[in-house]
Parts: sequence; structure tokens; C-alpha cells
Amino acid sequence: MTVAEFFGCAFLAFGTPLAMFCFTISDSPIKIILLIFSSFLWLLALLISSFIWFIFIPLRDYLIFGVLVSVLIQEGFRYIVYKLLDKTSAGLEELAGNSLVTHNKPVLAYVSGLGFGIISGLFQSLNILADAGSGPGTVGLKSGSDFFFITSATFALCIVLLHTFWNVIFFNGIHHHNKINIIYVVLSHLIFSCITLLNSYQLYGLTLTLSIANVIITMLIAFKTVGGSVMKLKQCIACQ
Amino acid sequence: MLKYLIVLLYIVVFVSLVSSDRTKDKIYENVVGNMCFRRLNSTHQTGCSSAGKSAGSVGVLHYIEKEEDINFIINDAPAPPYAPILKPKFFTRENILKLRDSKFVSAIILINDTSDMTHFSQESKCPNQFFRHINQPVCDVTKPETVWNPYGTGLLHENFDIPIIFLANKNESDKVVKCFKDFNTDLEGQAGKALCSIELFSFMSAAGNSEVCIRRSKFAGFLKQITYCDPLQGKNIYGTLFPRKIVDPENRTNDQSEKIILISARLDTTSMFDGIALGALDSLASVATLITSAHYLRKIVSNDVFEKNNVNVLFVLFNGESYDYIGSQRFVYDLKKKNAFPSPASYRKPLTMDNIIMMIDIGPLDGFDTLSIYSINGANGIANKFSASAQAYNEKFGLNVNITTRETMSLPPVSAQTFLRENSSFPAFVVAAKKPENKFYHSVFDDAGNLKYSYQNKSLDFDKLDVVQDTKEASVQNKIRNIATLLALGVYDILTDQKYTGEGIASSALVDEFLYCYLVATKCRLFDSIFVFNDDYRGSNYPPQRYISVQASLTLEATGWAYRVFGFVLSEKVDKDKENCTELPLYWIPGSLKNGECRLTTQNLSYAISPAFEEEGYNFKSNLYSTWTESTWTDLSARIFLRPSIAHESFTFLIGLFIMIISFLLVYFVKSKADILFSEVVNAEHESLPAQC
Repeated sequence: MTVAEFFGCAFLAFGTPLAMFCFTISDSPIKIILLIFSSFLWLLALLISSFIWFIFIPLRDYLIFGVLVSVLIQEGFRYIVYKLLDKTSAGLEELAGNSLVTHNKPVLAYVSGLGFGIISGLFQSLNILADAGSGPGTVGLKSGSDFFFITSATFALCIVLLHTFWNVIFFNGIHHHNKINIIYVVLSHLIFSCITLLNSYQLYGLTLTLSIANVIITMLIAFKTVGGSVMKLKQCIACQ
Repeated sequence: MLKYLIVLLYIVVFVSLVSSDRTKDKIYENVVGNMCFRRLNSTHQTGCSSAGKSAGSVGVLHYIEKEEDINFIINDAPAPPYAPILKPKFFTRENILKLRDSKFVSAIILINDTSDMTHFSQESKCPNQFFRHINQPVCDVTKPETVWNPYGTGLLHENFDIPIIFLANKNESDKVVKCFKDFNTDLEGQAGKALCSIELFSFMSAAGNSEVCIRRSKFAGFLKQITYCDPLQGKNIYGTLFPRKIVDPENRTNDQSEKIILISARLDTTSMFDGIALGALDSLASVATLITSAHYLRKIVSNDVFEKNNVNVLFVLFNGESYDYIGSQRFVYDLKKKNAFPSPASYRKPLTMDNIIMMIDIGPLDGFDTLSIYSINGANGIANKFSASAQAYNEKFGLNVNITTRETMSLPPVSAQTFLRENSSFPAFVVAAKKPENKFYHSVFDDAGNLKYSYQNKSLDFDKLDVVQDTKEASVQNKIRNIATLLALGVYDILTDQKYTGEGIASSALVDEFLYCYLVATKCRLFDSIFVFNDDYRGSNYPPQRYISVQASLTLEATGWAYRVFGFVLSEKVDKDKENCTELPLYWIPGSLKNGECRLTTQNLSYAISPAFEEEGYNFKSNLYSTWTESTWTDLSARIFLRPSIAHESFTFLIGLFIMIISFLLVYFVKSKADILFSEVVNAEHESLPAQC
């Protein structure tokens, strides 16, 4: 990977999360703590997933097995995050001295979702960005396409956004006992992960389109769950 | 507790079993080849180096199929820099210097496709010309008799600031050619496409000349020693026909009554590329000749002769002769010191130049059909005497060698030059081919094929002599045997003052086995018969490395084996069992018939490092001794990959930048309008805030 490609991919994958962090997280220490906290829990989820993957030796070569296990465990941890935040809300409020954050469920969901997403995106793109200094080459000699790096970076961006939206929908679902929301999150996560399996056939056009569609749909649902509507959007733009 | 430990162990084992694919492996493919590297002498640096220490030299592959392709790279160059892939046919001085001096070329790849190759020698036309004896005429291309390597390009002595790699293995050369054909053939569209490129790492730490780099090595390290270059050095191997008397090191005095006939050849060879230099025809055939005649002479001369005349024969294989006669210079230097050769540790009396009554130097024997005896003014008559004897035996045994004597100042570039440089009336003559015919002198292609050698594997007892009847077959083994026979018998007459009346001639089976070991694999019958291997290891499947190299403490394989071969051919069987045959000069060998033999050996090693590096305050400008050093390096490697086009790189960068900027704007917008967008969810406190449009 060349230096220009490295920066292109890094901007593409982490430009949006950086913007979200700067404008919405960095203003409050408690949000930053929450972000790191949820990132840590995601790492725990990954650790447990990999243990399970290790233990089932005969299934180790089947990537789909690892993917399914990992998705379910991540969703389990999403629930754990919710429960932990719920249980500690009183303490958090004391700590923060700002009920705007701690009492606002969608904000909590958004912050911890972004934590999930950033760490997940980092892990996804680590394999690529780590080789940034390895020299002047790009993918495509033996197999693979020119667009390997851009595609990988786009997927990293998608997973960051998706985790954020999923968390918002998921927390809302639990809060309002809305099972459909929860099921949607798990399904959407499964679909997204399974689509990435198609990348080994280099169907980048297809996988990218599907994934981006997934991101947009999830975003709209998340927007709706937190009270958004087309009217408000129009009103907002009109105010401009 | 134990249970936890087991679980932990289980986990550790699994972790270590798993390996991951890295993206790097998707991008790069290693290419295995032999790299040109840097050597220095007192005035120049020669050889190649890649551009930088951490990053290698990168170039777009371009397969040269015709001469015009070279001009394409140099003149049109749509996507520089380039790394042309050349067949040996195009590896001419003119082409290579043109490529070297072009700013559009960053590396050169030589592939092992010998089609249309007629000659290939990177050595200079006049090897070692600056260390010739004093009356040797200056090398002049217009005078053929002064040119000893007419096919030489001299590129070995040029400096390249770009790396050059030789891909000896066909798989490797196919890999780069295929990569070129898959990605780079659209010459017009090269600028806008991802192109198959190569990156070569061969950064050399030494620069300038030997003097500078040795001085830098001395002063660079305050806390740790940094070495930029090492002197070329190795070991000479010598052995005597008759065992010399063992003396106490304290009573070592030179004995002028001891007379020595010196027979020598060159052990080492060289090429432009690291690790691949067989030197079959340029020197190995001469070594084989020396070994075989030593063996033959040992068989036909009894020890009584020595007691009667006190004339001994000293066989020496000089090392480092390809680099301005390192081995013979050191030998002469030691002889002149009067007590340095053989070293005190050898328990033998020292020798001086005056002990040597004649020297026969075996030069390149190229065709093996002609044998010229080169000498200055007939070397006090002994050249003619030798020639007459050799001619007589040639006729007697019907060996069909065309023998001529040449009294000339223009001697081949061999070790005798060093002796004559010291003393122009030294009784030395050179036996060599009538004219130089080796088209691959000092090159990677001077191999078994160039020697026209193929292993006969006759399973004969190679310790036995041939009989005259089997002289006819014109194999290279027989030809070398014939020359060795003539050489040995010429010496026989001088040594014994008699005519040889026996029927046996030198052993062609020994030639066959010796050449196999040095050209094909060290796992061979000869080595297995002269050395007791300790375990199952019986040698490698590769021939030993004969380039002198820089090993000071370690004796290189080629030298070590030559030492043992000397121990075999220059020794006599003694009647002792294995238990009593452990201390040198007694040496136990399996023997040609694998019955086990105890041998009384005479061989030993002496230093082959130029006196320039031993003398305090040697003046490097004096041109007295060889000053060759070899640069150190950390990495010699190559890899191919796709270099993205500028368009692709900019596209990736710009799309990333664009998405980031858009994100910042969008997130800012959403943030500032959050109250309107998400108004329903906000809490009681929040609701009190007015909408801010």
C-alpha cells in the first residue's frame, strides 16, 4: 500500500467517525468514558468469540461458523451494555452531574454504539492499514482487484455507522419492549456479516451496494425510533 | 493447579498453530535470485548497490526481446523508472552501460535464458592486469597475444548505483516475464495502469575505496564495532609429495639444501553474482589436473628418490587469485620473511624463495588439446627440458596433446606473475592452453556444460591408475588425465633423473569423481571416501562455493574439501589400525574401496589474505599488494508487485478526503439541528429550550 492509498483509506474509513467524535462526543468527559467502556466490551465479545472458534476445531475452517458466533455474541454484549448502563444510571448521573447525557437514552445508545463501531471498524481495517509501511505495491498481482483497499475501507465505515444505528434501535427496542426492533438489529447484523463473506468472490459491486443499502435502511429506522420524520427533516432544511 | 496448567498449555499450543494471512502476502511475491554486490580496491568501488537502506530500488518490469526495447525504456519511458529483464544475449557492455547511465532505469534483471548466447564474460579483457610481472606487455586489444580474456566485457569492474539480479532458476525468471506479459504489455497505456514492478534490496554499506572503508570501520564504532567492508581472504592449501621432517618449533631454521619443485593452480573463481560461480573451465579443470598429477606422481615415485636427491615437490592451490593474486602474494610475502611459511604451528622447517628450484603453474587449459609452456627466456632452460620430456611421453602413450614452448614476456594471468614480479629471473613457467578459448570466463555460465563434462560414474576404483589402452575416448575426463599425466611425468624426469618405464597413467576415474563433487554436489563418492562423516549427513546436493569470500575464522567448504583431497592424493598408506591413527599427520579415511585406511598425510593450510591488511601503515596507493575488500550488507532480496498508477492513487486519496469533508459538514449540520430533528425524545428539561431556527 502506498502512502497516498493509506491516507485515502484512513480518511474514508475513519473520517466520519472522527467528525462524529469531534462534534458529538468530545464535549463531555462522561461520553468519552462511555465510548471507551463500550469499546472494551466489544473487545471482550471478540475474545469470547475467538475462544469458541478455537474450541470447535472441526468447524474452524468454516468462516461462516465464526461469523455467526461472533454476531450473536456481539449482540449479547449489546444487551449487557444496556443492562450495565441501566443499572449504573444513578451513579453515572452523580459522576457526570449532567442529566442531559445520562437520562437521555438515545444519547447513551448513540455513544456506546459509536464505541462498538469504532473498535469494530479498527479491527476490520487493522490488517490492511498495518501493512501501510510495507512498500510501494498495491493488491492485484496474484488475485484481488485494484479496489481492494477502497472496498475494505468502505466496509469499515459501514460497520462503524451500522453499530451506532443498531445500538440506537436495539436500546429503544428493549426500553419499549419492542421485539421487532431487536430482531431487526440481529438480522441486519447477520445479513451484513454474511454479505462480507461474498467478498472472497470479489463481487465488490454487489456487496458494497447491499451493505450501503443496509446502512441507509438502518439509519432511517434509527432516525424514526428517536422521533425523526420526513416533516422534521423538511422543516430543518427549510430553516436553513 | 495442574489442570489449569494443562489448559494453559493447550491454549498456547493452539495459538502458536494458527497463522494469519497478511495483506502484505496478497501484494508481494518474493523472487529468488543472485545479486550483484560491491567490492572495493585501493582506488575504486565495483559492483552494485540498491538505492536506499530501508526502501529498495523499484522499477517497472520490461522484458527486452530486441535491441529496440532498450531504446524504448531509455527514450520514450511512459512510466519510469524501469527494470529491464535481459537475456544474456543482450547483456553486453554497450547495453548495460547505456542502461546504467539512463535516469529511467532503476534495476537490471538477468534471466537464465541462454538462447542465442555465444559468449558471456564480465571479467576484464586482461584479468589482474595491474599486478602483472614487470616485463609483461601492457594489455592492448589490438594485440591478441596480450589479451587473455578476449570475450570479456569488464563489467565486473564497473560501478553500478543500481542493483542487478540474476535469476538462475527458470521458475523465477518465468515469474517475472509472466508478470510483465500480464500487466505491462500495453505500452501506450502504461501511464494510467497498475504495472508489474520489482523491488530489489541490495544496499551496500561500503563506499569509495578499501582504504576509506577500512578506516571508517576502525573509527566508526565507539561502543560497538561497525564493519563496512571485510578484506577478501581465505586459505591456500599445500601438500608435499614426500613427507617433510617434523621439527621442534624452536629449532626451525631454513635449510638451503632442501630443494623444492613448486606446482600450483588457482583454487578460487568468481562471477558477478553472489553465490553462483562454478568456474568449471577457468580454474576447476586446472585444479583437477593438479590433483590428478599429484595422485599419479605419488603412485609412481618411491620415497627412496627423495632420500637420494633431496628434491621434494610442493603442490599449492592458491586462493583469491581472481582478485589480484591474493593467495600467491601472501605466499611470496611469507617466503620472503624466511620463517613464515610453513607456519611454526606446522612443525616443519621454513622455506624461502631460494629453496624453489622451479615452479610450474597450471593456467587455464581451455581446449585440453593443446599445451603451451610459457616462460620468460625458457626459465633457465628448464622449460625446454620439461617440454622435451612431456613430448616424449606424449608420443610414448599416444596422448595426442599438441605441446609447444613459448618464450614470451606475455604470460597468462596466473600465480607465476606474482613470483616473477618479485624476481624476474625466477625459474617459473606456465602450462596453459595455446590460446584463450573460454567464452564464459568468470561467469555464472562457466559450468559443467561449458567444460563439456558429464558424470561417467564408472564405479571404478579411482585410487588406481589407468592403463594406456583406455586413452582413446575423447571425454574431458580423459583429456584432463592426459594433461595431468604429461605434467607429472615431466616432473618425474627432473625429480628422478630417470625415464618412467611403467605402463600406468593418471586416473581418469579420479578426474570424473573430483569434478562431480565440485560441479554437481558435495554428496559424492570421492568426498565420502576421504572423510569419515559422523552421522547420516553425507554432504549437500550443491557444489561447494569457490569464490574466496571474506571468511577469516571459518574455512570455506571448497577449501576444506580441497584440503582433504590433498590428504588423500598426497599421502601414503601406513599399516595402522583406526585407534592408532588419530593424530595428524596420520589420518584415517574410508578409502576408495571403503575398507578403511590409515594415511600419512602432508597437507596443510596457509593464509590467503593480502599483506596489505597485515602490514602496519601500508600505503594503499603503492599498488604493491591486492587491496580487494567486500562490502557488508544486511539484505539481499527481491519481490514483485503491482505498482498503482498515479490516477488510482489520487482517486483513492481524493475519495477518502471527500468523504471526510462531507462527513464533517453533515455531522455539524445534524448536530446543530438536533433539537428539531429529534425533538420528540428529549426530556422535560430539554423541551423548555426553544427551537432555534
